[in-house]
Amino acid sequence: MERFIADLVQGLDSGNIDRREFCKAVALAAAVYGAGDAAQAQAQRGFKIIGINHMSYTCPDYAKARDWYASVLNMKSEATRDDGKRANLMFGPEPGKGGSFLVARSPSSTASGSAGVKPGAEAVIDHVCYTVPNWDEARVRATLKAKGLDVTGRDGSLHVYDPFDYEVQIASAAVENAFRR
Amino acid sequence: MEGFVAKHVHDYQNGRISRRRLIETLTLAATAFAGKGAGAAEQSGLDVALVNHVSYTCPDFRKAADWYAMVFNLDQVGATARDVALPFGNKGEKPYGVSADDVPLTHMIIRTRSPDAAAGNGPPRRKAKAVIDHIAFTVADFDRERAKAQLTAMGARNVRDGGPFSVYVDDPFGYEVQIGGLGVTAICGAETRATCGDNR
Repeated sequence: MERFIADLVQGLDSGNIDRREFCKAVALAAAVYGAGDAAQAQAQRGFKIIGINHMSYTCPDYAKARDWYASVLNMKSEATRDDGKRANLMFGPEPGKGGSFLVARSPSSTASGSAGVKPGAEAVIDHVCYTVPNWDEARVRATLKAKGLDVTGRDGSLHVYDPFDYEVQIASAAVENAFRR
Repeated sequence: MEGFVAKHVHDYQNGRISRRRLIETLTLAATAFAGKGAGAAEQSGLDVALVNHVSYTCPDFRKAADWYAMVFNLDQVGATARDVALPFGNKGEKPYGVSADDVPLTHMIIRTRSPDAAAGNGPPRRKAKAVIDHIAFTVADFDRERAKAQLTAMGARNVRDGGPFSVYVDDPFGYEVQIGGLGVTAICGAETRATCGDNR
């Protein structure tokens, strides 16, 4: 930019361009430079999201939650991370390849750096919906009822409560899809 | 199982096997079958493939949606007067690591509504005794120091380390958000990855 303006000044001094042309050229250069800078900054601002890594779920009894999510949603508890206060419950793709996990915690467990449960939080995740592939309405409903759960909702999108009255939604791709709302 | 038993009973009745052999064979088969049955019962739940969506409720959904859209480069789709969806990708894309055709992109539904709004078509939502106190997102090419600088430049509040391999930040409503890379897993978490020999 500096070099560009220096050349313009030289042109002005030598009479190759007049004052009006000089001013227009500098103003245009500033606008182009600013737009480019802003665009570059914009492109570099946000993160490229891959997915949900994990959700930290705090409840009165992590073991009870662990067993429920393992039983109802076939989540797999990672034994090496179960320390008697928390358990990591894996689901989806393999760990490190897009897989997610639910951290079931008792109140005495807090992640490093986390503030933990904040009383009176203004925002809340009031439910989580999980996708069940190969959806078979009768099979899904029968499975949930066999677990002793009260099922509400509509075909393809069912709601139950976990042992701590946290709402869990289970859905098919056909019914719950961000682009078909 | 029934066919297997019938065949061996038939062999016994026709003198092809002894009574003792029949008992041994059927005992072994029944034991193995019972073991499989118990295993099947343990796996009798639903295989969830991915989070379909998380439902985030706050006093001003537009403000929250703008923040998540900015921080994670997300589009806002299907907006109504009280909510909007933010899918983790573009229409037609598959979620990372998923090959199945019937697993849609995860999305956030950011909304403003009463905390006891009905779940599904049921009665008002129960008051939960559990809470999701933070949510962690996986992002591409994660670098903790760069992430902290990016978040700070975006005006994010309370940016702090989450162990060596992730950062925490508060969204506009004080909700805690964690950001990390693919290396933060259920087996080798953000706090312990250094001891797992994973330096990503």
